[in-house]
Amino acid sequence: MRSSARFALLQAAALGLAILFGALAGSVILLAIDQNPLYVYPLMVRFNLARIDSIVAIFYRATPLLLAGLATALAFRANLFNIGVEGQYYVGAVAAAFVGFTVAGLPRLVHLPLTILAGVLAGMLWALLPIVLKLRRGAHEVITTIMMNAIAGALVLYLLEPGLLRDPAQAGTPRVRTPDILPSALMPLLHSALRAIGLEIPSSSRLNWFLPLGIALCVFFYWVLRRWRFGFEVRAVAHNPSAAEAAGISTQRVQFYTFLLSGGVAGLVGLSDTLAFFGYFDIDFPKGYGFLGISIALLAKNNPLGVVAAALFIAFLDRGAQGVQVFAGAPREVITILQGLIILAIVVGYELLTRYIRAQRKREAQVAPPLAPALAATGEGGE
Amino acid sequence: MGGRPMASPEFFLELRDISKRFPGVVANDGISLAVRSGEIHALVGENGAGKSTLMKILYGLYQPDEGEIAIRGTPVRIDGPRRALELGIGMVHQHFMLIPVFTVAENVILGSEPTSGGRLASAKAIAQIEALTKQYDFDLNPRERVANLSVGEQQRVEIIKVLYRGAELLILDEPTAVLVPQEVEELFVNLRRLREQGKTIIFISHILDEVLAIADRVTVLRRGRVVGTVAAKETTKGQLAEMMVGRPVLLQVTRPEITPGEVRLAVEGLTVRGAHGRPVVRDVTLAVRRGEIYGIAGVQGNGQTELVEAIVGLRPIASGAVRVDGTDVTRAGTGRVRMAGLAHIPEDRHHRGLALPMQVRENLVLGHHHRGLFTKGPILDLAEIDAFARGRIRDYDIRSPSTTTPTLALSGGNQQKVIVAREFAFAPGVLLAAHPTRGLDIGATEFVWRQLMEAKAQGMAVLLVSADLDEILSLSDRIGVMYRGELVAELAPGEASPQELGLYMTGTKRASAEPAAG
Repeated sequence: MRSSARFALLQAAALGLAILFGALAGSVILLAIDQNPLYVYPLMVRFNLARIDSIVAIFYRATPLLLAGLATALAFRANLFNIGVEGQYYVGAVAAAFVGFTVAGLPRLVHLPLTILAGVLAGMLWALLPIVLKLRRGAHEVITTIMMNAIAGALVLYLLEPGLLRDPAQAGTPRVRTPDILPSALMPLLHSALRAIGLEIPSSSRLNWFLPLGIALCVFFYWVLRRWRFGFEVRAVAHNPSAAEAAGISTQRVQFYTFLLSGGVAGLVGLSDTLAFFGYFDIDFPKGYGFLGISIALLAKNNPLGVVAAALFIAFLDRGAQGVQVFAGAPREVITILQGLIILAIVVGYELLTRYIRAQRKREAQVAPPLAPALAATGEGGE
Repeated sequence: MGGRPMASPEFFLELRDISKRFPGVVANDGISLAVRSGEIHALVGENGAGKSTLMKILYGLYQPDEGEIAIRGTPVRIDGPRRALELGIGMVHQHFMLIPVFTVAENVILGSEPTSGGRLASAKAIAQIEALTKQYDFDLNPRERVANLSVGEQQRVEIIKVLYRGAELLILDEPTAVLVPQEVEELFVNLRRLREQGKTIIFISHILDEVLAIADRVTVLRRGRVVGTVAAKETTKGQLAEMMVGRPVLLQVTRPEITPGEVRLAVEGLTVRGAHGRPVVRDVTLAVRRGEIYGIAGVQGNGQTELVEAIVGLRPIASGAVRVDGTDVTRAGTGRVRMAGLAHIPEDRHHRGLALPMQVRENLVLGHHHRGLFTKGPILDLAEIDAFARGRIRDYDIRSPSTTTPTLALSGGNQQKVIVAREFAFAPGVLLAAHPTRGLDIGATEFVWRQLMEAKAQGMAVLLVSADLDEILSLSDRIGVMYRGELVAELAPGEASPQELGLYMTGTKRASAEPAAG
């Protein structure tokens, strides 16, 4: 037990070192463009943490990111590479928007869950083909999900054609979007709930209930993977599919359900923007969350709780990039480079640490006495 | 082998008292071996006998813990494949390392490309390779793309590759495993030609016919030790088989006399097809009764693995039936076979037995985790699992610092104990034990043997597959011999001498199997 506390401490130290390394490497780039890192970094931290609108913006930005990270991490946990979160969330957002503006006359208590469910099911549907192709035909999911992303991108554009989902009321304007989603399907904002616990946030913020929902999902899946029978089977399949099979676990079944769950969570990614910011789906709908989700899963080592922290961290850097651009005149791309460097440093640092811990554990086990007094005299011979 | 081989140029390679240990496993235990210059020296032994460890030491991938290597009488230290090549040692791998879109010549020179003024000297390379193929009578066109070559031709490219790098000693690791019979013949012609030209060859195999056809001398390894070196002309298949799989009985087990009861495992007319649709298990019928250990003997690769995997539901059954305690479990799937009361100690604990990165307690419940005892609805009851794991760790004397230690941290013997402890839980009716003591040291072997006796005493029906003839003879109540996928004989342990079993195992002799006969 004492040693596991030591390993946790080591892990935290490794994380800190990786961030430090990324910041140092970023300093070189800042110096190269005549910016003083000792000015830029404190500015970024101040801009992010000293302003309530920054803090709220970070949480708003983190909402889709943590869902995308969770979707990717879930698939990774079953040795599946879901590169298709991107396409799955486009489809999920369109499906939710569709249910949101077509189904009228329902109370919010029914309409909103129905709308969210439409997003989840559409995401699952988009994940269904790749996983069936993989399990039945052996087609690699990386290839098929990338293809599905391309199809999803084209499909949502096609659906915005006149006569399909395009809002007829916008005819003659350059706006290519669906009709407005009905108020009964919009996600309520967090303002009143936060006010109840004494926090006042700017009225311009669109921070909404998808944030607590996303965090709750991360906690839930953390619990499922650690403590549920299904989670146990997922881990066994990931660590040794042959041994899992020999133990009577159907690896195909486990991979199938995990991938669908991943697709379902992916279907939620775009809903914070759709149901709490825009109120419709349009041609300029935000893209790229799915790919950021891969970085986040990587940073979090596929741990659902880590996903929350990693998403907040990426959102923090994103927001900081805006501040740096406005107040220091440094291009925000510098911060994007910094993000990449930190992710690389963390991934490499973790790998080294994991090897070190494994070697340490092995050493401990070799000198370990038996748990209880041995009943038989014979243990390992020749020692 | 007499005493210590003398250092003299008569021997190209001498190994003296080479030992290599891994946690819980002694892979090489004082191996001494002398390979004469210009001979084909075969190295035979079962999986886990230590052949591949020894070859990795020769190729510089492992360092021996003890012992000395000498090349042409001079002691050397081999610290990597590059050094091995400098010393004239070339390895022809079982799995080819060729780039299909490159030509033969390009593959051969890869890694040591001849250049003139920074540019690749292709013409020079082709000329050199043509000279080599002419010298050794190899039928090979250096300009042909490797993708267009047959498997036998690809192997020739691998051999030319090591010759091109100046190898004097060629190590061929199971070279015939991938070849069809005609290609084996061609390979042998090539190898004899190489020998005529003064090359020295180490030929690793467990197919005794081939070894006797090509080798000058044969060294047999078993459990990390050299059993002996014999001249191929002066030995027989039966003798080699006995050397390979037998061993002096170091351990004594008292076999409790139990009157076998009703049939608990019935296998009827089981046929299993291999990769190319060829049957690898042919019409096998056997029955194992309560309190009985049924041993299956055979040289490795004669269908034992496939038989076990088909019974457990890990391999499709082409025809036939499997019954556990009267329940038909043919094609039921592994989960249901296990639920019917079948436990399985797999032949490779790292492949089928354990999820190594997972905790010891998690591996102890793997396959039992869905039992009501360990679940509350969909949630695992960790307190119950931990209590179970503690009990198992105590009862089976598993040396582990805690129940949550990752299993990969345990020694090989303790990992095997985790599997045994798991498989014996919840009173299974039938136990399939495939090579349960392979690679284990004496202490752990004795432990497993005692557990098998215990299983018998508890009324389990045990199907024991082992390549170790003494293990089979000491533990079994009945012995079936498998040869080329068929059960060619069924005997009582008193009925057959190791020599006679050796004859059955090599197909020299056969008797019609009498299934389920008392």
